[in-house]
Amino acid sequence: MANFFPRWTNILPLKIAVCLGVAGASVVVGFTYYATPKAQRVGYMPSQPIPYDHALHVNQLGMDCRYCHSFVEHSGHANVPSASTCWNCHQHVRKDSDKLQPLRRAFDKDYEKYDGEPIKWVRIHQSPDYVFFNHSAHVNRGVSCESCHGKVNEMKVVYQAEAHSMGWCLDCHRNPEKHLRPLEEVYNLDYDAKEWLAENKMVHPETGKELKSQKDLGLYLKQHWNIKAKESCWTCHR
Amino acid sequence: MSKRVFHHPEVSADDSGVASWRSVGELERTPSFRAHVEREFPEGSGHLSPEDQKATRRSFMKLMGASSALSGLTLVSCRRPESYIVPYKKAPEWVIPGKPLYYASTRPRAEGSVPLVVTTYEGRPTTLAPNGDHNDGCGADALTQASVLNLYDPKRSRNFLRDGKKASQRDFEGVLGSLAREGAKLAVVVGEDDSPTRNRLRDEIVQAYPESKFYTYEALCGEARRRVQNEVFGEGSQTVVDFSKAERILSLDCDFLGVDPVGSASDFSRKRQGGGETYHQDVAADAMNRLYMVESVFSLTGGMADHRLRAKPSQMAAIAAQVAIGLGITVDGYDAGCLSDEEKAELLGTAATFDSWILECVADLKAHKGSAVVLAGSRHEEDLQRIVIAINREIGSYGGPMVVYETGRTGYGTIADFEADVDEETIVLLLGPSNPVYDRPGEQFRRGLSRSKLSIHLGVRTDATALACDWHIPAAHYLESWGDTRTATGTYSLTQPMILPLYGGFSELEILSQLLSWRQFDWDSLESEGAEEQVVPPTLIAGEGMGGAPSPALAEVRQTFSLPENANDDGDVAWKEALKGGYLQSSSYQTVDADGAGDPTPKLSSRENTGIEINLLPDASVWDGRYIDNGWLQEAPDPISKLSWDNAALVSPKTAKELGVYESVEQLEPETEIPLLGKVKNAPQPSIGEGKGAKAPMALIKTRSGRMEIPVLVAFGHADDCISIALGYGQGASDGRDGVRVVREEDPLATVSPVGINTGFNANQLRGDASFSIEAIEVTKTQGRYPVALVQEHNAMNGRALAREISTNDVEHHGHKVSFEDQVAKVREQGPVDSHAPENVSLYKRRGSTTWEGDKDKQDDLISDKIHQWGMTIDLNTCVGCNACLIACQAENNIPIVGKEQVAMGREMHWVRMDRYFASPMTEMDEKTHKKIATPDWVQQNPEMIPQPVSCMQCENAPCETVCPVNATVHSEEGLNTMAYNRCIGTRYCANNCPYKARRFNYFDYNKRNPLVAHNLYKGPFGKKQVGEAPHLQRNPNVSVRMRGVMEKCTYCVQRLESAKIKQKQIGRMKTLQAGRKSTDVQIKPEDLRVKADSIKVACQDACEANAVSFGNLLDKEDAQVWRAKYKGEKKTKSGAFELVHNPRNYDVLQYIGTAPRTSYLARVKNPNPTMPDAVYRGLATINTA
Repeated sequence: MANFFPRWTNILPLKIAVCLGVAGASVVVGFTYYATPKAQRVGYMPSQPIPYDHALHVNQLGMDCRYCHSFVEHSGHANVPSASTCWNCHQHVRKDSDKLQPLRRAFDKDYEKYDGEPIKWVRIHQSPDYVFFNHSAHVNRGVSCESCHGKVNEMKVVYQAEAHSMGWCLDCHRNPEKHLRPLEEVYNLDYDAKEWLAENKMVHPETGKELKSQKDLGLYLKQHWNIKAKESCWTCHR
Repeated sequence: MSKRVFHHPEVSADDSGVASWRSVGELERTPSFRAHVEREFPEGSGHLSPEDQKATRRSFMKLMGASSALSGLTLVSCRRPESYIVPYKKAPEWVIPGKPLYYASTRPRAEGSVPLVVTTYEGRPTTLAPNGDHNDGCGADALTQASVLNLYDPKRSRNFLRDGKKASQRDFEGVLGSLAREGAKLAVVVGEDDSPTRNRLRDEIVQAYPESKFYTYEALCGEARRRVQNEVFGEGSQTVVDFSKAERILSLDCDFLGVDPVGSASDFSRKRQGGGETYHQDVAADAMNRLYMVESVFSLTGGMADHRLRAKPSQMAAIAAQVAIGLGITVDGYDAGCLSDEEKAELLGTAATFDSWILECVADLKAHKGSAVVLAGSRHEEDLQRIVIAINREIGSYGGPMVVYETGRTGYGTIADFEADVDEETIVLLLGPSNPVYDRPGEQFRRGLSRSKLSIHLGVRTDATALACDWHIPAAHYLESWGDTRTATGTYSLTQPMILPLYGGFSELEILSQLLSWRQFDWDSLESEGAEEQVVPPTLIAGEGMGGAPSPALAEVRQTFSLPENANDDGDVAWKEALKGGYLQSSSYQTVDADGAGDPTPKLSSRENTGIEINLLPDASVWDGRYIDNGWLQEAPDPISKLSWDNAALVSPKTAKELGVYESVEQLEPETEIPLLGKVKNAPQPSIGEGKGAKAPMALIKTRSGRMEIPVLVAFGHADDCISIALGYGQGASDGRDGVRVVREEDPLATVSPVGINTGFNANQLRGDASFSIEAIEVTKTQGRYPVALVQEHNAMNGRALAREISTNDVEHHGHKVSFEDQVAKVREQGPVDSHAPENVSLYKRRGSTTWEGDKDKQDDLISDKIHQWGMTIDLNTCVGCNACLIACQAENNIPIVGKEQVAMGREMHWVRMDRYFASPMTEMDEKTHKKIATPDWVQQNPEMIPQPVSCMQCENAPCETVCPVNATVHSEEGLNTMAYNRCIGTRYCANNCPYKARRFNYFDYNKRNPLVAHNLYKGPFGKKQVGEAPHLQRNPNVSVRMRGVMEKCTYCVQRLESAKIKQKQIGRMKTLQAGRKSTDVQIKPEDLRVKADSIKVACQDACEANAVSFGNLLDKEDAQVWRAKYKGEKKTKSGAFELVHNPRNYDVLQYIGTAPRTSYLARVKNPNPTMPDAVYRGLATINTA
């Protein structure tokens, strides 16, 4: 009996399998890369027009978050500073650095390359349009920047530290005590509850027990400040 | 399984002889109406039309191919998309990104400017609200609310035009500059609003340009009334009514709550509440005002009236004369002009009834000397105006509720003067908001324009006048320009720009100021050589000069402001104070001694008994036509006829029957001619219900001056032998409709934008002179039919005692009289079974439930918040049904317009539905025989009208929530029925289950794809997008913009609630700072987190001139107006628990189905005069449907 199939068909199933595998893998990889919600891409670290170094400004120079993100206590948005804020210092400090070129192009009218175009910072943390997150509601109730943005004070280049998924939001809304801290410490990103409690001895007014851990303090603050983090949809979606 | 239909309880036969209906279809109980009521959405709203289906199928493969190709492209060529944050270079003062800024400004208006608070987000004005701090602060009507959309109209005029073709500013300046240099003779036409700076510049210009003159013109501001008032009280006088002092009002076709304002409607409403406006006490019958209304077509004011009389416009003066005679005033020519007995009998059954109507009304006015007032419609001729002034003098209105002010509007000519004055040397400048080429009857105006040396038009639209003039200049919107205005009582108010002119428009003051600077400029210096610096002639400045220099209009306004008669101060303090508040303290017009002024010489011209009369009136949506390109207003249904996107001829049912129209409006049993058999009756075939394919019959109307074909609608309560047509429509059409200017749809210089194209019919062509009532020579039904978008049957709610009404008089009930107090007490029992409904068992307060939460502490808090519980009441006693709330909601909540075809299919998106019901008693008890007999025809033909705004009621036991398969609509702890739009998958189960039909479904991407382009919505990705077009700048950033396939509805402006609550949360920081203590020591109690009582206003409440909407936190108890509107107090029950005592006038709609809505209504109170012949028929309009 003659060979019904030519010889080359012997490896055809293998070829098909490999092709399908590659195709499937590329779909999966492509989908993960492009279609993962922007709120959840942990580690996203784009390069910025000015390589602003948070570690330098906060930890070495001791600047407060609110010097630049000035409206975080008042508004839903934590604003990115206007060029004039940078210029307050940088008209005196390292004005001629190459890194500051975009700032001078935007603001320094005496600069030969001045074009008045504002600086376009690359957005890192992006919640979807149907999420109405409000910064002031959180920082005024004892939730620190660090809880969502990580230790920005140690970042030379800012990256996304936490996956801002809805489940992640709800984790905290269900158990806010894990993150509550005294209002004075909200912008102190090196805060440690145990150290703070060691310095500021606190006793629970009802049980009389000394507060020792973040959980103790968090539960106390939650009750003392009447914090009832909502879990219903309208809290964030409207 | 068949659909289970809820059976509403029967209305007991004995209970009511009152019939109530919304439309002809409902009155006649047609099958099409029944289908509407039973359906979740109007028929066809969920389907594609066959035509569009075809298109879709054909293009399906194309689409698929294209979209996969596109997605391939993006995958291959793109990196992961980056988005940017672009902060200001130098942040403007006060701007906090993400927070709104509020500015006080005013909208200029002929009847007195409207003080406003403008909400802006990063420089974009988004919503307008009334300025409550202004001493003339009233509400903001629908036109004012919607005017913000005109700012963003992408089709606004943006170029200089010469003879209808694009030209440059330089050319224009060359032409006008050289004429200015010679000091030409100017004829300047401005609007009827009063602007102190314009008055000042006028005087300077008249000096600088000898022989120049200024004129005012607006089509609908009552030329005859102005003329008579000027004659009697002196030039520039204006009458304003203080309704807080008016106990008795007789309005002769003056729609003062609607399109003919003469005073603050808020004051009228307050007086309507009989001392109960803040709900601290109940309505007291003797403290209520009483309104008598005589009118031709139902108006909003007519709906509020305690007594209403239908009459033709030509009879108005005769009726006024009879009132005057009753008061002992001599009226010249009364015997020739008075109403004959036949006419009286036509109006009210018998002449005796009519005479007693007038007599009792007169007696009531007499009894309230000094607090009664008679109003004349602004469109009526001199006779009526003169008689009414004489009456008001007799009943002591002047010095009481009526005040005559001396405005700054002196020294202006009328449009007739203008037409006479223009000669070959004149340069015509048309700076006003009106469109005289379109709406000035006769040829005189056009001739004047062509006679002039040069005509220049300033306007926001390239309307008919713009194209008829030699030059057109794009105008700035009032939100883009500096200016000053006076309110009705003369408070000096400022208009400040919120944004630089989007399209480079110029303001009126900038033009006038420029005319002066050209005149003052030393033109010879241009030619003198060897000057050290180059001299340039001044140029027109739009909004901002070189290097950010302010507009010259600012300098002009400041100069006027500093004058001795105004602030008398050129420092910064008074100016900044005025800018902040929007007005100058203690500034007002001088009053005129009205009683000491001239004699009005009341007279009555003789009348001929005419055939059918045409009554032309302003339109609630487009006014005189200037808002024809405003999509919100066009789509807002007319408050009475419920017609959107068009105008129509309105006729009474009787006249409709005579014209042969009634039957074709609702073809009950059409007859067919069959050979041999003769006429055969077919099964009922409603040819126009509402919904898809609704077509109104057309009629041809001829007058001595013109003719027009127009669709006819039946209007209940309309005077017989009279046709009412709204003006302002029919400014441009591409479908070749009769008598409307032909325009191409894509033409950027068309007289109308894609919004206003093919809308309505131009009734101005019937007019031969300035009169608003014309005799028709011939009215005939034609074969034509015209598609109409009528909305009253859409989302028709069905049930018992939906809107409730009581009377201050005793009413007959089960054969005995019920007093006012008893009626109030029984409002809650008006729905037949309301009193038997079970106590509310709320789903959401199940204490001890472990369904969601095991933690005992959390159970209560998560299910029922102890700090805020929101609620709302709508008071039908003050609600006039004006649409202001509907438009305000549209502006606040990013509600798209959907276009006429979509509205006709029942897909309109308005979250507030303004229901309008008619009701009239059809039977009464005969006093002698004690049997039911039919009420007289004049009673049946003159029904009462009740408007009822309905939006989501936020039911505690919400039927919509239980059927949502994805939990997209869920209850909040604070009592709101909330929507998570991103979760909705569009099953529409919720809308199907909503007894109030308060939910709206996005059938298409109305926000993204332009619904006004034909078939655009059906083209999917190939459709024309409108993303990034100017109207999107108006969007409220705090509200999701919903996409296709999503259900949406009112959520009590949850964005406003959230921002108020979040602001309150700053208290922790504040307390810490204040106390100087550690934050850990500061305690925050629930009361600290509670928003101050009545400090939040939702959009509809904010806009409501009548203060009919109360909203607030029910946990504020007596401190909250809404709580007082709902409850009178608390009482202790036997078991020791506290129970709330209801405010008796407050009721829940459809209480008997047990939804426990958070929005409740207060019954309307009618205050009829017991001695009037129609008193027993008033105050019975409780609405039971289907």
